[in-house]
Amino acid sequence: MTPTLKRLVPPASSSNPAADALRGQVRAFLAEQLAAGTFTPSVDAWLCGWDETFTRSLARQGWLGMTVPERYGGHGRSFHDRFVVTEELLAAGAPVAAHWIADRQIVPSLLKYGTEEQKHEFLPRIVRGECFFGIGMSEPDSGSDLASVRTRAVRVDGGWAVTGTKVWTSGAHHAHAFIVLARTTPVDAAHRHAGLSQFIVDLAAEGVDVRPIISMNGGHHFNEVILDEVFVPDSMVFGELGQGWSQVTSELSFERSGPERFLSTFPLLTTALELAAPQDVSCDVEMGRLVARIAGLHHTSTAVADALQRDEAADVSAAVVKVLGTTVEGDIADYADLRTGDETSCGAVWTDLVSRAIDQRPGFTLRGGTNEVLRGVIARGLGLR
Amino acid sequence: MNATGAMTSTPAVDRDLVAMMDAVFADYRLSHDHGPAEARVDCDRVLWQRLDELGLVRLTGSEQSGGSGASWRESTELLTAAVRHGVRLPLAEHDLLACWLLEAVGQEVDDAVRTIHLMPGPGRPPTLTPWADSADRIVTVWRGDDGYRVADVDASEITIALGRNLICEPRDTVSVEVSGRSGHMVAPELIAELQRKAALVRAIQVCAALDCAIAASVDHVMSRIQFGRPLAKFQAIQNLIADAAAEAAVARSATEAALHTALQTGWLTDHLDFQIAVARSCAGHAASVVTRNAHQVHGAIGTTREHRLHEWTRAALAWRSDYGSVHFWDRKVAAAAAEAGGAGLWPLITGTD
Repeated sequence: MTPTLKRLVPPASSSNPAADALRGQVRAFLAEQLAAGTFTPSVDAWLCGWDETFTRSLARQGWLGMTVPERYGGHGRSFHDRFVVTEELLAAGAPVAAHWIADRQIVPSLLKYGTEEQKHEFLPRIVRGECFFGIGMSEPDSGSDLASVRTRAVRVDGGWAVTGTKVWTSGAHHAHAFIVLARTTPVDAAHRHAGLSQFIVDLAAEGVDVRPIISMNGGHHFNEVILDEVFVPDSMVFGELGQGWSQVTSELSFERSGPERFLSTFPLLTTALELAAPQDVSCDVEMGRLVARIAGLHHTSTAVADALQRDEAADVSAAVVKVLGTTVEGDIADYADLRTGDETSCGAVWTDLVSRAIDQRPGFTLRGGTNEVLRGVIARGLGLR
Repeated sequence: MNATGAMTSTPAVDRDLVAMMDAVFADYRLSHDHGPAEARVDCDRVLWQRLDELGLVRLTGSEQSGGSGASWRESTELLTAAVRHGVRLPLAEHDLLACWLLEAVGQEVDDAVRTIHLMPGPGRPPTLTPWADSADRIVTVWRGDDGYRVADVDASEITIALGRNLICEPRDTVSVEVSGRSGHMVAPELIAELQRKAALVRAIQVCAALDCAIAASVDHVMSRIQFGRPLAKFQAIQNLIADAAAEAAVARSATEAALHTALQTGWLTDHLDFQIAVARSCAGHAASVVTRNAHQVHGAIGTTREHRLHEWTRAALAWRSDYGSVHFWDRKVAAAAAEAGGAGLWPLITGTD
């Protein structure tokens, strides 16, 4: 018998001249911004680079909420166009954290599950760069095992009272709202994924307490959000009651396949090229391997974006991007760190980038589904489980 | 809706054609084994004849010259089917390289089995020529005083020192006396195209072999029971196969992207050189992980001649070293990055200035 393998990643088959023109526009904009000194390229800037002014200037270009239809104040662009813009912003190390969650995750979720009222309430403000979101999935006792969330929502007059603790909520100290996954019926051991629902929770509401979780390098982007009988009106129930699990999991491909899963340390690679003598780089096989991997992942990630545009299932291919992409992000951090020591004098800009990269690195393969969980997704795609 | 631009998608290869290719090689494997481990592989002329009757040996040749007028997409399926069934033939060397070049310089192409030989420049070490001793004619390229020349040389006029690669495919050292030959002029662009094609052929073959090694691994761990359950149920085993599959998938993306660019641009852009180097780097490194992990999950049985795993793992390792080692291609990518500089790296990767 001769084995055949099912395709894990759709063909990288499209070329798109309009997208190339769009790349040019974003690059011209970024060059202007750099020349004006509005930002300094940084690593992991989609998590750490909170800059509302920069976000609003992107909004003025029409590069926020690009896929939002015009009737909700958006631009009616394709998912592929959004992909191109985000790739350009990340490759440049631009500070995009403020709108990142809203633009990446909340927009497609709202478009798919939101009520008309919710869409009119949030989408136009997201598009204008005036409304920022967080995600309330993880809890102190629920990391990779999301079905074990204990935050619960209890029926009250006109809505729900939500009580529980969410952790690792990026940007909750700046954001306006977050989407909370909570249990609306008690756990049924035979159907662990049933009885979960999503709610849009106003972070300024009474009973919401946002506490910083300081990262090991002193940075503050994560938070613990404690909810004490927070009232959520019926109008802010997100999607269908009891369908929280399938809503959360069906949107994971948007979160896992994007360019932020292989470009988080790209500015370190470009800086390495700027600092090194070209003749040294030309025979550096490790530099070659890293650049080739990024280029390969660019094609894979593009193929997944096209599949999402066609509304095809992309959970397995997204897992492929995330497992290898976040690994190469870490490899780039290590590449830089291995070449930096007290005998090398590369200056403060370099040292700062390297420090930041190695401090952020452990998070690359954790956030958005640990690589161990994602290997399980790939294994399932291969029929192993 | 704003315009999103014209997307051109890959035309699919006819499924009946793919099934036919697969059936020919499957039939052949039923009646032929690989022979002794150390035997040098030869081109099986009976099988070649059969493939010729089906229009598969000159699949991409023009119909005027006796070819089937198909594209590299069909040829990729043919090469992949041959890899899947572990059938070794100079299909790519004959059709995609040697006969293509003859046609490109306006020469007749007959029924002879051909391979391609690029003579090294003066003072350069001899290069190995695939399948030289199995071919009737060797399409030889050399650099004359006034540029590149090509001649369709009868194999009997050439001194061939036999050699073989890891999987015993012919990799011969040939000495052609070109001083008395005029040959035909070849534009340097065609030589560049030939080199791109040769490099990409091996990336395509490596990708095909890696997918087979992974599929064999999946089959094995689903059926092999240890500790009272299939190996597939162990997370450690799942992880090894998932990592291998991810590597192979990215190598395939890179290789298909290069082929797509090649077919869209007629093999002409500079960016294609970078994309091919990327494909060869990704495929080469993927071969390390896939080979290691596939053998690990197979256990000792996978190291035997009897088991078929080696038909794909050893083939991938052999082919990744043809037309440039993995480090040769890594350095090509690094050199392109160095030339682009920090500000030019992302435009280099995306192929858009």
